[in-house]
Amino acid sequence: MITRRETLVSLAALAAASGPLRAWAQPAEPAKLPALIETPMFEAEVKAGKLPPIAKRIPQAPLVVKFAGDGAPGTHGGDLRILMSKDRDSRFVGAYGYARLVCWTPQSELVPDIAEAVDVDEADKTFTLRLRKGHRWSDGKAFTAEDFRFFWEDMAGDKTLGRFFMSSNLLVDGERPKVEFPDAQTVRYAWTKPNPGFLPWLASPANLTIFRPAHYYKKFHEKYASKERLEKLNDKRKDGWARKIAGEDRMARNNQNPEMPTLDPWVPKTEGVAERFEFLRNPFYHRIDANGRQLPYADRVVMVLAESKIIPVKTGAGEVDLQARSIRFDDFPFLRRSADERGFNVRLWKTANGAQLALYPNLNCDDPVWKKLLRDAQFRRALSLAIYRDEINKIMYVGLAEPGQNTVLSGSPLYKPEFRQAYAEFDLVRANRLLDQVGLTKRGTDNQRLLPDGRDLELIVEYPAEGTEYIDVMRLIGDTWAKAGIKMYAKAYQRVVLRRRVISGQTMMSVWGGIDYALIRPGLSPHEFAPTDEVQAQWPRWGQYYQSRGKTGEKPDDRAAEELLKLHKAWAAADSREARRGIWEKMLAIWADSVFTIGVVGGVLQPVVVDKRLRNVPKEGVYAYDPGAYFGIYKPDTFWFDRAAAVQRKHG
Amino acid sequence: MLRYIAHRILVMIPTLLAISFVIFVVVKLPPGDFLSNRIEELRAAGEPADIEEVNRLRKEFRLDLPFHEQYVWFLWDLVRDEVRSMEYERPVSEIIGDRLWLSVIVSFATVIFTYMVAFPIGVYSATNQYSWGDHGLTFLGFLGLATPNFLLALVLVYFANVWFGIEIGGLMDERYIGKPWSWGKFMSILEHLWIPVIVIGTSGTAGMIRRLRANLLDELQKQYVVTGRAKGLPPFRLLMKYPLRMSLNPFISDIGELLPHIISGAVIVSVVLNLPTTGKMLYEALLSLDMNLAGSFLMTLSLLTVLGMLVSDLALAWLDPRIRLEGKAVK
Repeated sequence: MITRRETLVSLAALAAASGPLRAWAQPAEPAKLPALIETPMFEAEVKAGKLPPIAKRIPQAPLVVKFAGDGAPGTHGGDLRILMSKDRDSRFVGAYGYARLVCWTPQSELVPDIAEAVDVDEADKTFTLRLRKGHRWSDGKAFTAEDFRFFWEDMAGDKTLGRFFMSSNLLVDGERPKVEFPDAQTVRYAWTKPNPGFLPWLASPANLTIFRPAHYYKKFHEKYASKERLEKLNDKRKDGWARKIAGEDRMARNNQNPEMPTLDPWVPKTEGVAERFEFLRNPFYHRIDANGRQLPYADRVVMVLAESKIIPVKTGAGEVDLQARSIRFDDFPFLRRSADERGFNVRLWKTANGAQLALYPNLNCDDPVWKKLLRDAQFRRALSLAIYRDEINKIMYVGLAEPGQNTVLSGSPLYKPEFRQAYAEFDLVRANRLLDQVGLTKRGTDNQRLLPDGRDLELIVEYPAEGTEYIDVMRLIGDTWAKAGIKMYAKAYQRVVLRRRVISGQTMMSVWGGIDYALIRPGLSPHEFAPTDEVQAQWPRWGQYYQSRGKTGEKPDDRAAEELLKLHKAWAAADSREARRGIWEKMLAIWADSVFTIGVVGGVLQPVVVDKRLRNVPKEGVYAYDPGAYFGIYKPDTFWFDRAAAVQRKHG
Repeated sequence: MLRYIAHRILVMIPTLLAISFVIFVVVKLPPGDFLSNRIEELRAAGEPADIEEVNRLRKEFRLDLPFHEQYVWFLWDLVRDEVRSMEYERPVSEIIGDRLWLSVIVSFATVIFTYMVAFPIGVYSATNQYSWGDHGLTFLGFLGLATPNFLLALVLVYFANVWFGIEIGGLMDERYIGKPWSWGKFMSILEHLWIPVIVIGTSGTAGMIRRLRANLLDELQKQYVVTGRAKGLPPFRLLMKYPLRMSLNPFISDIGELLPHIISGAVIVSVVLNLPTTGKMLYEALLSLDMNLAGSFLMTLSLLTVLGMLVSDLALAWLDPRIRLEGKAVK
């Protein structure tokens, strides 16, 4: 059923190199569908004729979920309670639901989900999506290619609406795709250059990408709406209708638009602004289990807002069923203590960032003497060697984190121990020798080194003023750096201010989290490893130069950085999986050798609180935003409440 | 009298204008703006910000305009009652909605609690000055004044959860949030209300006890009291009829402060207790640099303060014939 050629495989794990992918969930042949079981919650409505029976609600070829590991089909019922800290966080319910055209699996494979099949040509230029026949929106209207056409032609392609909806993900070097709709179930996007980021974007946690409920939006659209309605919408302004659509869409992307139909497992029932959001099961959802039950299992998702600092306490009091957001590793002992009494389990999942915290020498620093020094790879290597990472790991993270550089994590097919361990051992002798070679031989008072121009070598490291983690680690680093003759001062700034100081070159060195997603696959873009964004605190102005296409910032003038940029470009243009993998390996090697960022520890664990009756939540997992959608790739629609379990629920 | 009121109301306009400018400057004072703040917040969580979205918001909320133009727009929106919150992208009036009522309930309950506790204690302390009871109650009062509210809040919340099984924070049972008013919801609010009332009320109570005691002590020394006593008035009647009434003036002038308190009261406590009141919203708006929401909140507070002052001045004049009100222009 799934036609996949070379490139779709390239986005997936290496293990799947031979033959077609074994997807964890594959569309079943209509003939082989299990006998369907009506959802208890809808029985009355079906009897009353208000809702079609289950066989008419699901697509002809629904997605039959196969469970991996110790997961197993469950039964319907129950409310899944979660806590969030902001109104806008309701968008994560959409990410948790994770119904996408294509989805990442926990094994980092891309598989069709809403789409029944995806066909990609070898060079990642043409993407053909085939939809499921009989798939319906949550209001019962058919979901077809028209919904894609409407988005492409009447929203992204519209004169007035385009500015709200034309996404940069749809453009390759500014070029728009050629989009075709051969029949009601087929859509095709074609570029003349490769667009390897297209499918990962469709699989990202962002709600709503390339389709919208056309029948819903047509009510407001200039081209389709009735005259009276348009006049009312516009109300003297010319673009009132466009604003209406943009507003509706923003609410929908935040999962706060109860009016607008959706394909998600749970449909929003609450409009913002609220303190409590309710999401009800979608009667037309496209996934079923092997026993013929339509997913999701939980009737409702109930999201309550609480101040993020109160969330760990409320979680510890057993007021949630599934919680990881706003909980940190420091909360683990407290949660563990109250777990049995309050009826939940605490699991420790991995995080995916390259480093919990990393030092970023600012290669665009204003001070010419410091700039020269910081651009010297030997100097950066020496600083890295003078950090006692094992000690930091033991003191700060009870030895449970992974000391090492800010780079690819073990668990990635591209992982090599030498990448993480490059200049990551604690070796003061070597550090001192390197510093001497750099020319920092003169010493001042306290035996601290002097800069070439005679000033004291005082390295000021700036960090975001949040919590105590940063400053605690900085103190430990300062102690060992002093032994290498380097005096370090740490100074806190508010995040926004610090970002500005870094970009403007006032900062010599700053501390931030590491690479966002370090469980790297060759099919994921290597933009975090090349100067492509002003966020990158090691070379903000070079990143700015790239982002603004040379209008602002500075042109990179470091051999290694230029090489990385070249490779980044080559990756996007590469037309085979092997080529992309080769480019990644080269980039990681350069990255490891140049120590552009100095990682301290990575792989810090994320506590995940799971109610004791909630089944199918994996014991081990990775908690990451993209790819991952936090819980999304573990399919929360398959999580179910075991009513036979001993613990009684407090609230209905 | 009418002239006086008219004069006072006219003076309010320049006062509020000046206040609006100060508010605008102060809210804008932290570096960055709403958008840079949001971008950083997303980045801190490892979630990339949507550049197109950011650019759209920047235009919509005129964050690309120079400072003075932004200020003028802010005033104009205020006057037209078309202020839209940046965080929620909705009209401010729509956002505040139910919260205002909950705030009123909490504040009102707190005021009643304060009066009910402070009044008898204050009177007792003054009439039995330097007795053991006075010392004991004064000590308790100072304790209430000195304990940081948020700490008391945390302690109470913890024990309420451990002993009575009341949820951590919140003003009602989770299932009533966002639902229409009902008997069950009302009872649930009463069940949760006592913690914030005690927490917010303690420091106010302590302060009031001290003031009432001091005022009453002043009056008790005065000759008319001695005369009344000499003429054989029963002590309780004497107390109620004369010195207690005299010592009430400061409470009337407090009304001016009471009005804004209803909206902004105890911001920190409502954050710690997770109360769905307006105080918490103001706090969050300030943190996220949502100029529009915070600004219109603060403007409302200022308006209420200015109005409250007028009301309390008028009430004082009505209550105490010795006070005369005159507009300066009349002279």
